[in-house]
Amino acid sequence: MNGVLNEWVLFGTAFLASAVEAVEALTIVLAVGVTRSWNVALRGTALALIVLATIVAVFGPLLRTIPLGTLQLVIGIFLVLFGLSWLRKAILRYSGRKALRDENAAYDREARAFDGMSGRNADRLAFATAFNAVLLEGLEVVVIVVTFGAASTSALASATLGALAAIVVVAIAGVLLRRPAARVPENLMKFIVGLMLTSLGTYWAGEGLSLQWWRQDSSIILLIAFYTLLSGTIILRARRTTQALAR
Amino acid sequence: MKLRAIWEFVAGDSLWGPIALVLAIGAVAALQRTGFPTAAMLAFPLIIGAGLAASVFERAEHASRVS
Repeated sequence: MNGVLNEWVLFGTAFLASAVEAVEALTIVLAVGVTRSWNVALRGTALALIVLATIVAVFGPLLRTIPLGTLQLVIGIFLVLFGLSWLRKAILRYSGRKALRDENAAYDREARAFDGMSGRNADRLAFATAFNAVLLEGLEVVVIVVTFGAASTSALASATLGALAAIVVVAIAGVLLRRPAARVPENLMKFIVGLMLTSLGTYWAGEGLSLQWWRQDSSIILLIAFYTLLSGTIILRARRTTQALAR
Repeated sequence: MKLRAIWEFVAGDSLWGPIALVLAIGAVAALQRTGFPTAAMLAFPLIIGAGLAASVFERAEHASRVS
């Protein structure tokens, strides 16, 4: 996989995916920090980030030892499955079939968990909560970054930079706001990430199957356009069904 | 971690996406062998897209049956 276009697509997709997950993790880390202890919350976060960075450092280069055709097919399948899952959730939310994620409610839920607790047990729970939140939310981003990175060293660099940039932006926003980033258009970001992952996955899996894409890399743009159009049509149709059911 | 949890982490809770992907790969292999590379290129995203639509409307169908 070559080209400046692809590097930007990888950067953008990793940035958005990481931003979405970072917002969700930030909500929990904020709840732990405000209601229990910032020291514990930040230690849990730091340890989880170290674990995630280790996974990227180990598996990123390791994947590149697999033959290219096989790798493209496996990565493509992985990305399509991942992308369809993100896209489906976003479409269901847009069409009113699934509730939108409420960061304020998630924050309150986490904060309530520490009500009436004190001492070392509370600190341990707070540490584990921050650690698990960052690790679990970050794992999806790591899978995306490692999968992208399998294509080349520059792809790994683009995807890693995109993910890190998002973490920095969300962390700065968290420090400034000191409250959940409830106004972030999370579903739109998930929708875009779903589109990008599905499009890139389709392209790579096709390459692995020796498909002759029309105009090679430029087909990615056409695939993005196709899945956007299709998703828009599905949303409109699903909304109508939802409204008909509500009557 | 249980196998089911790993599967749901990757593919979500609908089987339509994975089924469509398997069908799309099979269709591409068949069309390429029989000498229709352009049809294979078009069929691949179309079948995956059909899987996406099915996975969304599966949920809608389920909801209508429940209500």
